[in-house]
Amino acid sequence: MIVRSMNSSIKHKPWPLLMLGLSLLQGCAAVQPWERGVLAKPQMALERTPLQSELRGHSYGSREAAGAGSSASGGGCGCY
Amino acid sequence: MAVTEKDRKANSALGSLQALTAAALILPGLVPAQAAEDNEFSFQYGRYEESRRDLGGVKSQFDPITVDSLHTSARVRLTDRIKFAFNYIQDTWSGATPISTAPSTREGNQPYDVGTVAGASPWLYSGNGNGKVYFDDQRRPVRTIRRDNGLGFGFDELIAAGLDNRNVHTMSIASPEVRKEGNFNLTYEWDDATVSAGGGLSLENDYESRFANLGFTIDFNQKTTTLSGGLSYANSSTSARLDHDAQTYISKNAYNGQLPEFQPRYAKVISNPIPGTDDSEEILRGKREDWAVNMGLTQVVTKSSLAKFGASYTRSTGYMGNPYKAVTAFFLRPVTAGLMSRDCDTQGTVAGPGLGAADCGEGIAYEGQAKAFLEQRPEVRNQWSFNTGWVQYIDPLDAALHFDYRFYHDDWGINAHTFEADWVQPLGSGWSMTPRVRYYSQSEADFYVPFLVADVSNENGADRLGSDNSKLPTQTFSSDHRLSGYGALSGGVTVSKQFTKGVRFDAGFEYYTHQGSLKIGGGGEPDYADFDYWVANGSVSVEFSAIGRSLTDHDHHHHHDMTEHEPLMPAGLMCVGGHMLNQEGDFMVGYVYQYLRETGNMLNRTSKASDAAMVNNGYRTIPTFHDMHMHMIDLMYAPTDWFNIMVMPMFMDMDMDLRVLDGINGDVTTDHLHGGHQTGGIGDTLMFGMFKLFKHRGHHINLGLGISAPTGDVGIKLNRQHQEDAGFIHYQMQLGSGTWDFLPSLTYLGQYDRFSWGAQANATVRMQNRNDSGYRLGNMFQASAWGGYSIFNWLSGSVRGVYTVEGSIQGEFNPVPGAAGCTDPITNGAILCSNVNPTSSTLDDPRNYGGRFWDVGFGLNVVVPGGEFSGNHLSVEWLQPVHEDVNGFQLERKGTLFATWSYMF
Repeated sequence: MIVRSMNSSIKHKPWPLLMLGLSLLQGCAAVQPWERGVLAKPQMALERTPLQSELRGHSYGSREAAGAGSSASGGGCGCY
Repeated sequence: MAVTEKDRKANSALGSLQALTAAALILPGLVPAQAAEDNEFSFQYGRYEESRRDLGGVKSQFDPITVDSLHTSARVRLTDRIKFAFNYIQDTWSGATPISTAPSTREGNQPYDVGTVAGASPWLYSGNGNGKVYFDDQRRPVRTIRRDNGLGFGFDELIAAGLDNRNVHTMSIASPEVRKEGNFNLTYEWDDATVSAGGGLSLENDYESRFANLGFTIDFNQKTTTLSGGLSYANSSTSARLDHDAQTYISKNAYNGQLPEFQPRYAKVISNPIPGTDDSEEILRGKREDWAVNMGLTQVVTKSSLAKFGASYTRSTGYMGNPYKAVTAFFLRPVTAGLMSRDCDTQGTVAGPGLGAADCGEGIAYEGQAKAFLEQRPEVRNQWSFNTGWVQYIDPLDAALHFDYRFYHDDWGINAHTFEADWVQPLGSGWSMTPRVRYYSQSEADFYVPFLVADVSNENGADRLGSDNSKLPTQTFSSDHRLSGYGALSGGVTVSKQFTKGVRFDAGFEYYTHQGSLKIGGGGEPDYADFDYWVANGSVSVEFSAIGRSLTDHDHHHHHDMTEHEPLMPAGLMCVGGHMLNQEGDFMVGYVYQYLRETGNMLNRTSKASDAAMVNNGYRTIPTFHDMHMHMIDLMYAPTDWFNIMVMPMFMDMDMDLRVLDGINGDVTTDHLHGGHQTGGIGDTLMFGMFKLFKHRGHHINLGLGISAPTGDVGIKLNRQHQEDAGFIHYQMQLGSGTWDFLPSLTYLGQYDRFSWGAQANATVRMQNRNDSGYRLGNMFQASAWGGYSIFNWLSGSVRGVYTVEGSIQGEFNPVPGAAGCTDPITNGAILCSNVNPTSSTLDDPRNYGGRFWDVGFGLNVVVPGGEFSGNHLSVEWLQPVHEDVNGFQLERKGTLFATWSYMF
C-alpha cells in the first residue's frame, strides 16, 4: 500500500535494496556449515527457557509502559 | 559482492558434505521457532510477590499483590513438515494495589477500625482531614500546623509548615481473580523457510482478549542469515465491576453519558441494579484493538558469535485505561485570611491545641477539596520498538554471553531503554547456571500526573461528585505509576539440569526494583512510588519422543514374572496411589487434570431441598454452581522393583456463584453477592511410598502409604466490601485441608488375555484436630472396583463403580474481628465486631460437608506401544454420580472428569 502511493521512479526500489542488503550480509557469512559446532551449543541458543521468558515478560509487561511492542497477544489486562 | 565462478565450483564440490552437515548442524535456536524440541511437554509454576508500599507511616493490613502462575506447553511434530504447539496459562492474583495518589496531608489511608490499628482503608474524598489539602499562593500543597492566634484557647490559626512534597498512594485490595489463556500455533516447514499461523484466547472476569498471528522465517546464505516477520491482531474487551466502596467517591461523569462532549468513544460506565436490593453495581465496558507487525534478522557473524536486529510497530485503539485507577483532583477555593476569619476548617489529626474552624494564617492561599476521577487515557497509541542483540561464545569457559538492547518509543510520550545481559555457564553433568542482569528506564507519559489541581472556584466542595470534568485542566490523565518516569534494575539466576533421557529441570529467581531515582537522566517520580518484587519459577520439560518405554512393551518386560507389567488403571485412580512402575530404575513423569462440577438442585440428605426449608434453617444464600480444576504433576521413581516413590504437587482453581434464597428478610448487601468468587493457587502436596506386596501370573497387590502436606492455603479471606470486613471465604473455596493427612491404599490388579480388573480401598485420615484456620476436613474412605477390556493393543476401555464416604467438617473458622457495623449496646457507638466470618450461606456451615456418594466411571486408556511416541500413556475417565446422600444441605454434583498423560522412561 505504501509502494502504491509512491511515484513510479522509486516504486521498485525497496526490493533491490533488500537484495543488496542480503548479499552484503553474505560477505560476513564466511562461516561454513561444518564450522558451526560452537553455534549449535545449547548455551548459544537465542531462547533457552521459553516458559520462563514468558513469565518474566508477563511481569515486565504488567509493570512497565513499554511492555507491548513485538506482538499483539492477549496477555490480559494486567489491571493490578 | 558477487559470487565468483571459483566459489561456485568450490560450493558444488562441497555439496554432498554440506548436505550431511547442514542437517546435523542446523542451528538450534537460531530463530525461536527452532529452539523448541520437536515433541516436548513442559510444565512451569511461577510465583510473583510484591513488596509493601511505603504509605508515609500508615501501616496497611492488606497484603501486597501476589500472583501464582501455571503454564503447560505441548509441542508435537504432526508430519515431517508440520509442527503444532499448544500453551495453557493460568494466573491467579490477589492483594492490594494503588488506586490513586495525593499529597500526604490528604491522609488517604486511614486506620478504619475501632480500638486497635488493624489496617488502612482507601479514602478518596473524605478521611480525617475531610479530604482537604491546603495550597500556597503558587498552588503547591503545604503541610499545616495549628497554633494559638494570640487570642487565647480555642482561637487558633492554621499556618503553612513547608511544602508537602511527599505524595502517598491510596491502596485498595482485590479478592482473588483468575486469568486463563489458551493459545496454539501451527508451523509448516520447508528446507529454508517456515510459515506459521496461530491464535488464542485469554479470559478473566473483567477482561477478554482474542488474538491471531501469522509469521514466516526464511534462511539465506547457507542458513547463516534468517529473516523473520510477523503480523498479529488482538481484540479485547473490558467489563469491569467497579469497586462498590469506591464507586460513590469516584466521578465517572465522562464515562456514563452525563457529559456527552467528554464521552470516550470506546468505553462507557453502565449501572445495573443488584437484585433484591436498592443498590446498584457499576460496570465499565470498553473495547480495544491492537495490530502489530514485526521484522527480525539473525545473522551468524563468526564461528562463535551471532547478531540480531528487530523492529516492530504496534497500533492500539480503544479503551486502554485501568478501570480500577482513579486520579485525585483538587478543586481550589481562595481562603479568607486574617483574624477571626474562621475560614480554615480543619479537624481530626492536624496537630494543635484546638479543634474545628481556625483562622487562615501565613502561607495558606487556597483550600483544596480532593475528588477522584476515573482515569482517562488517549484512545490511540502508536508504538515503535527497535532491538539488537549479540551472542558471543566465550571459549576458555565454554560459556555464552547474551546481550540485548531495546529502544521503545510511543506517541504517549514514553521513550524506554532496556539493557539485558545473560551469562550462560555450563557446569558439567548437564547442569548449567545463568546469572542475568537487566536495566530498564522510561520517561513519563505526557498525561501522567500524580494528582491534578483544578482551576480556582468559590464552590469547590459541597458535592463530592458534583464537579464535572469540564473544570479539570486536562481531559487525559492517569496517575498509574506504570506511566511515570522511573528506572528498574533487576537481577537473577536460572539453574538448569538436563538429564540424558530428555528430561530437563529449570529453576529461576529474579529480584526487581522499581525506583524513580534509577531513571536515565534523572527526574523520575519521587520515592513514594518505589516498589520491589521477586518472581520465582520452577519447570520440568520432557522431550517425550526421546527414549520412552511403553507400558505394554512386552519385549522389555516379559522376560519372567518378576518384571511382568501391571495392567492399566482408570484415570481417576492416578492421584491416589496404587499403580507402580514395572522395574527398578524406571522414571515416570505425568500430568493429571481433574475437573469437578456442582450445579443444579440443592440436596438435603437424598432429596431436593426447597428454598423455604433452607430459610427455616437460617440460611440466606446458596451456591448456584461450583467448579474446581486441579492440575497435578506426577513424578514417580522406582529405586527397587518392589518399592516406588511418588510426589504430586498440585495447582488448583475454583469458581462459584451464590444466589439469594426466596423468602429471606432484610437487605442482602452484606451477603457477599459480587458476581461470584474465585480462588486459586498451589494445593496440598501428595507424597506416596508404594510397596508391591504380591505379584504372580497376572495378579498384583500394591500397598500405598501416603502423606498429604498442607501446602494449600486455608486462610483465604473475602475482601472488604461496603466498608465492612468479611472474614474467611467458604470452606469449599480454600485450597487445601490445612492439616497433615495420612493416605493409605490397598490395590488389587488382575489381568487375563484382553481382560483386566481390579479393586482398591483408600482413605484420607486427618492427623491433626485443627488447621491454622480453626477447623479440619472430614476423614474420607473410598472403595472402587472396575473391569477393563483391551479393544486394540493401544486402546482399552473400563467401567468402574465407586463408593465414597466423607465426614463433615469438625470445628469452624477462627473468629475474625473486624468492622462490620457493630455498635456498643450502651453508648450506641461503633465498636469492633468480635467475628465477621460470613454465616449466611449453606457453604459457611461446617455441617454441610461430606456424605455418602455412589458413582460410576467410564474410562479410556491409550498407550503408545512403540515407535517415536513409545512410553506415552493417555487416559480419561468420567465419573457420573448415581446416588448422593449428603450431610446437611449441599449442591448436587454433576460429575468429575479426569484426564491424565504420563511418560515412562
